[in-house]
Amino acid sequence: MAVTPDVTDATAPLEDLVDTAHRIRNAIESVIEGKSDVVRLTLTVLLAEGHLLIEDVPGVGKTMLAKALARSIDCPVKRVQFTPDLLPSDITGVSAYNQQTREFEFKPGPVFANIVVGDEINRASPKTQSALLECMEEHQVTVDGVTYALESPFMVIATQNPIEMEGTYPLPEAQRDRFTAKIAMGYPEPAAELEMLDVHGASQPLDKMEPVATTAEVAALIRAVRAVYVSQPVKRYAVDMVAATRSSTDLRLGASPRATLHLVRSARAHAALSGRDYVIPDDLQDLAVPVLAHRLLPSLEAQGQRRQPEQFVAELLRRVPVPDAH
Amino acid sequence: MDPLKLPITAGLATAAVTITLYPLFEGGAWFWSCMGVILVVAATGAVASRLGARPWVAPAVAPVAVLVYLTAAFTAEEAFLRVIPTLDSLAGLAALVGEGFDDIQQYAAPVPANPGITLLTTTGVALIALLVDLFAVRLRRAALAGLPMLALFTVPAAVLPEPIGWPAFVVAAFGYIGLLVADGRERLKGWGRAVVVRRSGGPASGVTPDTERLALSGKRVGVTAIVLAVLVPAILPALSPDPLFGFGVGNGLGGSGGNIGIPDAIAKLGGQLRQDSNATVLTYSSSDDKPHYLRIYALDVFDGAKWTFSPLRGRPEDRVSEGPLPPVPGLGPGVPVKRATMRVTISEDLDRLHFLPLPYPARQVDADGDWRADRGSLMVFSTRDEVAGLDYQVVTDEPDPGLGALRSAVARPDSEPFLRLPDGLDPRVNALARRVTAGADTPYEKAVRLQEWFTRKGGFTYSLRASGSGAEALSRFVLRNRTGYCEQFAGAMAAMARMAGIPARVSIGYTGGSKIDGRWTVRTHDAHAWPELYFDGVGWLRFEPTPAGVGGQGSAQVPEYTRPVAPEAEPSAGPSAGQSDDDEETTGAGGPSRPNPRQLDRESQGTAVAAEPGTPTSVKAGLGVAGALVLLLLPGAARLLVRRGRVRRLARPSGGPHAAWAELRDTLTDFGMAGEPGETPRALGRRIAERYALDPRAAESLARVVTAEERLRYAPAPPASGPVAADLHRIRRGLAAHLSRWRRLGTALAPASTLLRVRAFGEGALDVFDRMENLTPRLSRARLSRAPLGGTRRSGAREGGTRPGGPDGPFRRPAAGDDAGAARERTLTGTRR
Repeated sequence: MAVTPDVTDATAPLEDLVDTAHRIRNAIESVIEGKSDVVRLTLTVLLAEGHLLIEDVPGVGKTMLAKALARSIDCPVKRVQFTPDLLPSDITGVSAYNQQTREFEFKPGPVFANIVVGDEINRASPKTQSALLECMEEHQVTVDGVTYALESPFMVIATQNPIEMEGTYPLPEAQRDRFTAKIAMGYPEPAAELEMLDVHGASQPLDKMEPVATTAEVAALIRAVRAVYVSQPVKRYAVDMVAATRSSTDLRLGASPRATLHLVRSARAHAALSGRDYVIPDDLQDLAVPVLAHRLLPSLEAQGQRRQPEQFVAELLRRVPVPDAH
Repeated sequence: MDPLKLPITAGLATAAVTITLYPLFEGGAWFWSCMGVILVVAATGAVASRLGARPWVAPAVAPVAVLVYLTAAFTAEEAFLRVIPTLDSLAGLAALVGEGFDDIQQYAAPVPANPGITLLTTTGVALIALLVDLFAVRLRRAALAGLPMLALFTVPAAVLPEPIGWPAFVVAAFGYIGLLVADGRERLKGWGRAVVVRRSGGPASGVTPDTERLALSGKRVGVTAIVLAVLVPAILPALSPDPLFGFGVGNGLGGSGGNIGIPDAIAKLGGQLRQDSNATVLTYSSSDDKPHYLRIYALDVFDGAKWTFSPLRGRPEDRVSEGPLPPVPGLGPGVPVKRATMRVTISEDLDRLHFLPLPYPARQVDADGDWRADRGSLMVFSTRDEVAGLDYQVVTDEPDPGLGALRSAVARPDSEPFLRLPDGLDPRVNALARRVTAGADTPYEKAVRLQEWFTRKGGFTYSLRASGSGAEALSRFVLRNRTGYCEQFAGAMAAMARMAGIPARVSIGYTGGSKIDGRWTVRTHDAHAWPELYFDGVGWLRFEPTPAGVGGQGSAQVPEYTRPVAPEAEPSAGPSAGQSDDDEETTGAGGPSRPNPRQLDRESQGTAVAAEPGTPTSVKAGLGVAGALVLLLLPGAARLLVRRGRVRRLARPSGGPHAAWAELRDTLTDFGMAGEPGETPRALGRRIAERYALDPRAAESLARVVTAEERLRYAPAPPASGPVAADLHRIRRGLAAHLSRWRRLGTALAPASTLLRVRAFGEGALDVFDRMENLTPRLSRARLSRAPLGGTRRSGAREGGTRPGGPDGPFRRPAAGDDAGAARERTLTGTRR
């Protein structure tokens, strides 16, 4: 190679990243039409080593998105359909007695994969839901006192129906807090829906999807994202923003310090996806609603007025001044 | 709701205003008596409020309480059980009131606090306290309570020779503002209790509306108003700056602002003469070893109430250190003068005098400090220095006119200012003046007759138990009792001389005093007033209508040239014949041929006689307009300077992009295009480029500024190249195209960015004030452990939530960005239109 190493170090990963990300995006968008924002955010969360919660009414392509992402990367993907009778061991795995070896043998559950798709996660009982907790945060599973490390990269993409729907258990705050971002799919544009009819009418495009990136590539991307520079003012801005949620009179519960962490981490990924090796406040602003809103509990008055946390976050973005000095 | 708060605050406010009465009195006995009566009224009001009595109860009961208090304080002897008023005690009070009125007639401020005067003062203050309580507490019209307080405040302002010092004003104003604040808070609390929902679920009982914030803004408005009221008059060029730092100065620097600060010299004089002690004011030695009257003020304006002087003008070139004083007004070249050199030493105890006691006419003064002579009157004064402790030398050329010169003198037709008399004088005085001077042909003879009438023929008696020199006092003095002291004599003679057509003025100062141990010693009791009359060619001559000797003004002396002469007597040839020779001898070089520029001036230009008219009104108005213009242009100029500085910094590698960004932000603020605080550089660039449709080059420039700033702030390495001045210029031009011409002019004159910065500075200053002010209440509130008044920000907001208005209820403190954002939104729509 003719290129000197330090130059590669500085720029090449970023270019690679943008390039690879572009490929993954294209692949997903060949399945999900007209949702480039959602796709981009999904990628951001993947690169930020976070977990994604997709909430929307049935049939808008939540599972499709999760599967498309999983397919586009050449890595083990497991899918769990959450039902009310699902047990925690169905997720983490179980120790079974092997008659031949006369020993207990660990049968890994579906979490032992790089990407875990949890479908309709809020249909399971709270007990099962919380079984995911440890996996998501610690990247490990403990069964019968033995701790097993999970794959890396590891990402949980959970879908859920709006909590007003029948047969749902709302996710506890603690678990919601573990998801880096929550997005809504939204109904497609008429044009996109029309195109969807053409594409999906005859065949299942998901079947034809080929992986466009390897696990190793994704791991390298994640490393590159970690190297993205976050300046002091930007950090301060993140802290200010989160602090504002805690002091807002309209909110019963503000965002946690983990939220700050997730915000900055995903901002790094966001910046990297834009081909920038440093974070700007715009990254934080773009991510504030998906990263923060699902962690907030509106006060009773605000609930009474049917004001959504998303509105508060948007309001807050206008109000919290952008720090300008170093 | 605390029922005690308002009555107590009302009492405090009255007490604050009462403090301003302090300089009116000698000693502080009256003050404690007044505080007592305020306490009585406040206590009565507080008890009535506490018991929830009807509003009319307190005003009905309080006067009774005041009467009991007065009885106990002044006529306890005659009262039943020392407090219950009896007929005797009431009679005693009435007698004291009568005494008080008599004393007030007699004394000029500062008056001794004898029982009569104290009783009168206490009663007056009690009346004010009752009215304040009535308005503020019973009728809940706190603003109206300012009227009685203002009435009290005007007493020292009207009576005292000096203007009220600013600290006194500030104390009084704070009292009033405190009352308003307390009233406002009580009103808010009347809105009722808040239903509070707490996240923690803790007890939320007894929460009252958060009035803290509102009170804070009220206080801010109040403090700003007071600061402006004190500072603006000091800054404006038309007003004397002195009252800012003297606790009332009385330097009479009227030259710059009408009559502000002119001392009521005569009132002070009376006070001096009546003093029990006879302190030494000054001593002097004189080369001719003769006593010389020392003049301090020359009062040339008689407004019907008192004599005062027209605006003075102390021009820098008239500093006494610059050389001889200005020429003596009206003194012709042929009049012989007697030169004398005096060395004057002023006592250290002479308080707040900014005018030099000098013989008239002084020719040369050698004194330390910035002393300036007024051209018209030759008064010498200083705006900064006081005479106390001063030791100075003065050369005087007293005119020694011969009778011939005097007799031939005529009143000048253009000496109108010195002949002016107020309307409303008793016509009988005029008739009397004509009668006294009847048969005299020349002004001089008339003057001599007047003096003779006062000293001998008129049957006048010297007595210090008289007062005033106004129109009423004048007619009382010459028509009825003919009893008075120098003040009345001098005032009456000057007024009657004017009636007889002789220009006249009243001089205030000291007589020559008495000789003790080889030096002439002038004491307090030598304080004196005398008339000076103007004779053309001779100038101003002193007359002495006040009786001298034991039964009169002890050391007064009748001038030689005013000795009565028989009207039919022939003019004596002697003095007038030797006139020019005398002149040569006594004045030395420059004497005979010395021209009198004043006279020449006057004749060639026909301006007013002697008195320098001061700055003409047109010039004053011009100065005012110029000052206002300069003030108006200041913000724009400051903005220009800032822009220059930034453009200069652009060239430097270090601060370049930052300067460009700061300038861009300020430009947007000026043009009303500023965004919200949460707007990032990139978002700002996008918004501006899109909304104002900049041309490609300007958009490029904008992008350069924005990108450079963004990299500088957030990137690990600073940008390689930054924007240049042309970029800024291009953006500015592109944006300005969206403004109307008037808007552009307004932007140039009053740039919003500069104004906002000034406001931020002011708010910072007020914040410091708030912090200081809030220290004590916080502590006491913590100790009381009452409901969290202002401690919980949430209580206020939640309070709002209980009403349909939602969280935007009146107690919600708008978040910093809210109103600013709204304001900007308005300006934006404004621009779009």
